[in-house]
Amino acid sequence: MGGIELRGATKRFALPDRELTALDSIDMTIPEGAFAALIGPSGCGKSTLLRMIADVLQPTEGQIAVAGQPPKAARLSHRIGFVFQAATLLPWRTVRENVRLPLEIAGVTPRRSPEALIDLVGLHGFEDARPAQLSGGMQQRVAIARALVLEPSVLLMDEPFGALDEITRQRMNVELLRIWKESGTTAVLVTHSISEAVFMADTVHVLSANPGRLAGSVEIDLPRPRSLGQMKLPAFNALENAVRDLLFLDDRPAEQAPRRPKVAAVGS
Amino acid sequence: MDRDRLTALASAVWPPAATFAALLAMLEIASGAGWLPITVPPPSAVIAEFGTSGADLLYHVWPSILATVAGFAISALVAAGFAAVGASWRRAGGPVFTLGVLVDSTPLIAVAPILVAFIGGGMTLHVVVAAVACFFSILMGMMKGFRAVDRNSDELFHVLAASRWQRLVKLALPSALPFVFAGFKIAAPLAVLGTLIAEWMGAERGVGIMMIYAMFSFDPPQVWMTIVAVCLMAIGGYSLFAVAERAFLGWADRDEGRL
Ligand SMILES: Nc1ncnc2c1ncn2[C@@H]1O[C@H](COP(=O)(O)OP(=O)(O)O)[C@@H](O)[C@H]1O
Ligand SMILES: [Mg+2]
Repeated sequence: MGGIELRGATKRFALPDRELTALDSIDMTIPEGAFAALIGPSGCGKSTLLRMIADVLQPTEGQIAVAGQPPKAARLSHRIGFVFQAATLLPWRTVRENVRLPLEIAGVTPRRSPEALIDLVGLHGFEDARPAQLSGGMQQRVAIARALVLEPSVLLMDEPFGALDEITRQRMNVELLRIWKESGTTAVLVTHSISEAVFMADTVHVLSANPGRLAGSVEIDLPRPRSLGQMKLPAFNALENAVRDLLFLDDRPAEQAPRRPKVAAVGS
Repeated sequence: MDRDRLTALASAVWPPAATFAALLAMLEIASGAGWLPITVPPPSAVIAEFGTSGADLLYHVWPSILATVAGFAISALVAAGFAAVGASWRRAGGPVFTLGVLVDSTPLIAVAPILVAFIGGGMTLHVVVAAVACFFSILMGMMKGFRAVDRNSDELFHVLAASRWQRLVKLALPSALPFVFAGFKIAAPLAVLGTLIAEWMGAERGVGIMMIYAMFSFDPPQVWMTIVAVCLMAIGGYSLFAVAERAFLGWADRDEGRL
């Protein structure tokens, strides 16, 4: 019910001189309450995929269902929470007012108060601070609280911790898992990091570029709750390697002359 | 915390204040020694003039302030209309900008006499010239402000399924305000200047005409008194918006509102 389904989802962009196939026929199922990670090289269409699920972009072909509804219906009924790479907080609002923004827009009273959510993301005492007074990690936590305040069926996160240092990032990831577990939402996390994807997800979906295709999916059968200690286990490394193999399917030794993938000649 | 801010304020204010006072003292001494031309009176004479002709000055300053405020308000309304069109209809952006540049590059001092022929030399002229003088700065601030919504926030409001009205009130207007205020701060002294120029062309009352009378009756202290009065009006206009900005836009990063 609260999951995400993609069937043959394709996105083409009309560029001035040609057509760009950003995503080609993506099939994917993310069960309700699951944590999915999307990983792939830059420009393979991860953000585009997330934007299509959130009804910011419409697929050129194929179908998408969010919690059993078309994305537009899901968006209009406030079932989608989105966290951008930049926190995107409104600088004139305090933390509390930023978290409350979706409630004002939807015109509802929440089951769970904004204050409770601010506690959940570990920002108790900062309710009246302005975004400019917070560190990057704290701002991103506010953005997560804001995304959760309407209790969305799905939580979409586009490299939310991409701008943070490794140490802060790991700490945020542990917290994010706790928040996800507690909120019961279906989560999709876009990331650049193999270890992050394996650490967080139930399933890691690997995308390849030009055009963006699903190279494969890796089931992560590590027990939950996850802890940073698990990252040292051989099972963890084996899963990382499985993801790495999918990412570098067409890899050849670095010392050999590279056989460049043929790029179709464009224009005149 | 508050004490720190007070000391910071004091240390920001006293060097220019001290420099200014020293300059006045030097002028006073130079004047007493007879080193200055007779067109430059000693500061004490100008201050004394405020005492003797203060009522006269008020009589003339009041309509000037009125004309400036009215011209500014009209300019802001018209600019808001143009900026809204320029922002919501992308192809109109270029022409609106061109119009602003055209208005801005028209030499007021040359056009004002032509305007006199059309609308006469009264209050209407003062208001119109004041409005024209500050139009460009206000327009630029508003146009930049209406485009200040960043793409991510726009996407955020889309995902939140916000209505057009909610977008305007909760996103577009607050995003625009720092730029609008920056435009207003630059525009206020320009409106004062516009009023002054228009009053030179002809007025029954106004600080500009008082300045002309004082010049023709060769009364340097009074000329300087009107100059000081005009400066105070300009600084006052600027400060008004600066204070309002501080009060309402405390959140705005100082860099954000730059034009
Ligand atoms: N609005 C758009 N118009 C044209 N091309 C786009 C647009 N959005 C994305 N693209 C292109 O689609 C491809 C995938 O982009 P994106 O989804 O941002 O990749 P990723 O997030 O994986 O780095 C890129 O080649 C990008 O240039
Ligand atoms: Mg991206």
